[in-house]
Amino acid sequence: MSVLEHLANGLVFGSIIVLASIGLSLVYSIAGFANFAHGDTMTVGAYTALVTFGFVGTLGAEVLGLPLGFFLALVVGVAVAAVVAVATHLLVYEPLEVDSIGLLITSIGVAFVYRGVIQLGFGTDFTEFRIPLLRPIEALVPYGIRMTRHDVAIVASAVVLVAGLHALLQYTDLGRKMRATADNPSLARVSGIRTDRIEIWTWVIGAGLAAAGGVFLGLYNNVSPRMGFDILLVVFAAVILGGIGSVYGAMAGGLLIGVINQLTPVLPRLGREFPLVPEGFGIPIGVEYANAVVFLIMVAVLLVRPSGIAGEEAT
Amino acid sequence: MSDREPPSATDAADDGSGGDAADAADAVLSVEHVDGGYGDVQVLDDLSLSLSAGEIACLIGPNGAGKSTVLKTVFGLLTPWSGRVRYRGDDIGGTAPEEIVREGIGYVPQTENVFGSLTIEENLRMGGVARDDDLGPVIDGLYDRFPVLTEKRDAKARTLSGGQRQVLAFARALVMEPDVLLIDEPSAGLAPNTADEVFDDVLAVNELGTAILMVEQNARKGLSVSDSGYVLDQGSVAFAGEADGLLDDPEVSRLYLGG
Repeated sequence: MSVLEHLANGLVFGSIIVLASIGLSLVYSIAGFANFAHGDTMTVGAYTALVTFGFVGTLGAEVLGLPLGFFLALVVGVAVAAVVAVATHLLVYEPLEVDSIGLLITSIGVAFVYRGVIQLGFGTDFTEFRIPLLRPIEALVPYGIRMTRHDVAIVASAVVLVAGLHALLQYTDLGRKMRATADNPSLARVSGIRTDRIEIWTWVIGAGLAAAGGVFLGLYNNVSPRMGFDILLVVFAAVILGGIGSVYGAMAGGLLIGVINQLTPVLPRLGREFPLVPEGFGIPIGVEYANAVVFLIMVAVLLVRPSGIAGEEAT
Repeated sequence: MSDREPPSATDAADDGSGGDAADAADAVLSVEHVDGGYGDVQVLDDLSLSLSAGEIACLIGPNGAGKSTVLKTVFGLLTPWSGRVRYRGDDIGGTAPEEIVREGIGYVPQTENVFGSLTIEENLRMGGVARDDDLGPVIDGLYDRFPVLTEKRDAKARTLSGGQRQVLAFARALVMEPDVLLIDEPSAGLAPNTADEVFDDVLAVNELGTAILMVEQNARKGLSVSDSGYVLDQGSVAFAGEADGLLDDPEVSRLYLGG
């Protein structure tokens, strides 16, 4: 595989991580705790979409090699994950009178419940969307990139969602109120912002984006009850790298972490791939260590910028 | 008038010879026998005071006397344990701050009183979220009154100087055109001449008819711009009366104004 192909994979994987990271960062900044059920919210979205796809999968024409039914299933997955997250907020987190550590521990329990329910319904095995695999896009093959139209669909969808969120945050009343609440919740209430409503919208948006990430992860790899939890540490790395609480930092961190993760196979053959590196030079590390490399880079960046790429002190 | 030490806050209020601070019935805002504090730590002890329409009242007293706690209790950031907080006759004790704003009371906290990551314009828009009408004219009016904000309208609030932040914090609260404004230590952390400018702004806001209840660490300065004053000590009103009278009172002077 060429370096360009690894980069392309990084872009696809990074798009998925970005979708998951934004929600985690948004919930952290407004609900005030690190939500360990965020990964399993992705799983909830993926399984909901999988079930919906079973009913509507054959619907409609194809867009980028995906039937329109897939996008309908995506929307249902996003909606159900949002409802589940809001219900969890209202029934579990909101009534609890505990600090942010208490909420964090609670969210681990919530994650177990989500996963347990999914395993009861679907078992512990891998499964996948019944969508035929595509051949790589011919035009890119000469450049050493084997990328399918499904990959393009994932990246394009992520770009649309991220642009939509940016427009929401910057140009709508709800977005400004969300930024104000994240900045200073007490002053937000003093200004007349009904922050309890803002918090509900935050769960809707955060869980919705996580679910979209989960559906795309399911399309990219496969669907399993552990898929969201397994990726959660990487998502946390992205959020912390970007500057926890910053949505734009999460976007940058997510993309960076996704690309680094996928570039790990290049490390042992740096000398062969890059002209200025001595022939034969390489960092002998296997792909199993991709996540370790991710964390190493995260630590390195934090040593230079302790509050992350877009953290408070940096801006 | 207050050369004796009044045993209770009610007596203290009755002592106010100006009359405007005295009668709770004319008061736009009154705090009646309130106990309160943080968690289970009591700060306010049977505290009473009142604010008439259009006046400036200043709360002074040593650190820990409960001055800021009074404002937080009035504004619903703390719930009174007992007693009442009345606004235009209605008991608003324990009402959430985001609802109290809608009643016509504004609050300028002492610290972290602007949204640092939002622009000046966005800060002002946040000040008006509870208004149903077009914010344009109100915000334009505030830019006219505080020209320093106009030049910086698209800058992030965290780039403002201390004095400019204080102006923005006022302006944010004024977007609602409140009848009563609670201000916590407007001069805190400011250089003396900047503090004077902030007090000029307090007077300018008051001249438009907004009653002001202000906490001020610089007691002489605070009283000198106020109509009436309350000296708080250990959660109760120790002295109350017209601001000029308190400034001239030898005992208040000796105990609370640094001689």
